[in-house]
Amino acid sequence: MRGFWPIYKRELFAFFVTPLAWVLITVFLLVQGMHFFLLVDHFASQAQVTSDQTPLQAFFGNTVLLYLVIFLLVPPMTMRLFAEERRSGTIETLLTTPVSTVAVVLSKYLAVLTTYLAMWAPTLLYLVILKRTGDLDWRAAMASYLGVALVGAGYLSLGLLMSALTKSQFLALVLTALVVLVLFILGIGEFVTREGSLMHAVCAHVSIWAHMNDFANGVVDSRRLVFYGTLVVLPLFLTTRAVDAWRWG
Amino acid sequence: MISVQKLVKRYDGHLAVDGVSFEVQKGEVVGFLGPNGAGKSTTLRILAGFLGMTSGKVEVCGHDIQDAPHEAKKMLGYMPEAVPLYPEMRVAEYLTFRAELKGVPRGRRVSSVDDAMQKASVADVANTTIGHLSKGYRQRVGLADALVAKPPLLILDEPTAGLDPNQIREVRDVLRALGKDHTVLLSTHILSEVEASCSKVVVIAKGKLVAAGTLDEIQKKRRPRGVEIHVRGDGARAKDALAAVDGATRVKVEIHGDVARVACAWGKKLDGDAVAVATERAVGAVVAAGESVREVRPIGSSLEEVFAELTRAASDATDAGDAEERPS
Repeated sequence: MRGFWPIYKRELFAFFVTPLAWVLITVFLLVQGMHFFLLVDHFASQAQVTSDQTPLQAFFGNTVLLYLVIFLLVPPMTMRLFAEERRSGTIETLLTTPVSTVAVVLSKYLAVLTTYLAMWAPTLLYLVILKRTGDLDWRAAMASYLGVALVGAGYLSLGLLMSALTKSQFLALVLTALVVLVLFILGIGEFVTREGSLMHAVCAHVSIWAHMNDFANGVVDSRRLVFYGTLVVLPLFLTTRAVDAWRWG
Repeated sequence: MISVQKLVKRYDGHLAVDGVSFEVQKGEVVGFLGPNGAGKSTTLRILAGFLGMTSGKVEVCGHDIQDAPHEAKKMLGYMPEAVPLYPEMRVAEYLTFRAELKGVPRGRRVSSVDDAMQKASVADVANTTIGHLSKGYRQRVGLADALVAKPPLLILDEPTAGLDPNQIREVRDVLRALGKDHTVLLSTHILSEVEASCSKVVVIAKGKLVAAGTLDEIQKKRRPRGVEIHVRGDGARAKDALAAVDGATRVKVEIHGDVARVACAWGKKLDGDAVAVATERAVGAVVAAGESVREVRPIGSSLEEVFAELTRAASDATDAGDAEERPS
């Protein structure tokens, strides 16, 4: 893990000095804030509670908005990681220092994951607001945030891999968006395929929609943990292979 | 410090480096010469541990670059051709980051960065964002980066590429100072650069090694084709005197008023030493003829011409599909 810390620190720095980072954060928090406001307003205006759903569950599960936000957030966050270093050639100075490939990949990944989690951090205030006005299921809240972290971790890992496959940031962005979209559409397949068929089982297994519903209800299913674990580890492994492969190009 | 043996690098079926072997000893400043596309950058990238080799063996300070890459990389400071830098960082920030990457202990980092900035003369832009620097400064920041961990060996890929003459002179001064306590391998296709800063040269063309040795040794490989003497006096008499010298052929004269240029080519039988003797005789003969000699210039022995000759020979051999040396 030689070289992990300096690269990790530099990646965080590089992200936060670009205007892109602040635009992303602002838009993210604006959309989340509006989303939260609309939900709370909706629940407040109901004369009596008809379902057992809470604003918290509605915020994290059963909504396309959460998904859309992650979908728009991840590709621009990861596109730069390797593509830019390769385009500008700084990868050459980076890899000629005594650092290991694993450290390079992991430091970049953990830096972008840290950023992602930091972007979600202000939304914890929503919980404080909910707590002040009513009851809050802390365990469901924790499961929801675990879900958000896992989905993000998986997508960021995919984004990192895409960034390692091309020298063009734009291509990395498009590829990441495509892969994430394909995963989402597969998830939709859960609702259109016949129950009991193999396709249905596959779709249900990768459906982020269903996953987030579970997490929002406080269900932490070990199958989900394995799925996202794979979604993180496999692309990271492929990325280290890709980085080593450039040297033999 | 560097030992390269039978280095081969193949890119999609095309041989970029073809069996190159050479050594660099401690304290030498070695110029790595070759026309564009000769495989210079590829070779240096392999030495720096960025590219893998197809076959061969490279040792940097006794560490095999494949078996012990980290140890080898710790010994060298590498500056790539395009001097890639992170434009959003400030110079001192960048160098501190690089020092940390290269394993300079925390306590020594500040002094290492200051030292490197001093040596590469970039201390005055320490707090400037790299993206705002001129090409000359960027080049020197790259140099400071190579120096920051105080490696015994520097590998610099075209350190003066794209600079204006003043900047070239500045970088060269820095290089000359560095040569005192570092071993330096620098690539270039500018020959005056080699003459200005190198004690030894390695010449490659089309991925093959064509010559290696000190500058003098290389120059001796190609004897002068002839000699040109500028005289004041009677041009015709000078011509006759020169024509009488043993080995002189195709004697020509150009007369401008009372100044004349006489030139001759040396016969094919004369080798390097014989040419030197013949040159002495030619000057003697012209002086004996009563002419005043103003200038004596060997024809076709400048480093440029030697270089052109050497690399052309290699290209011809490759093009003709045989490795035999071209008869000269």
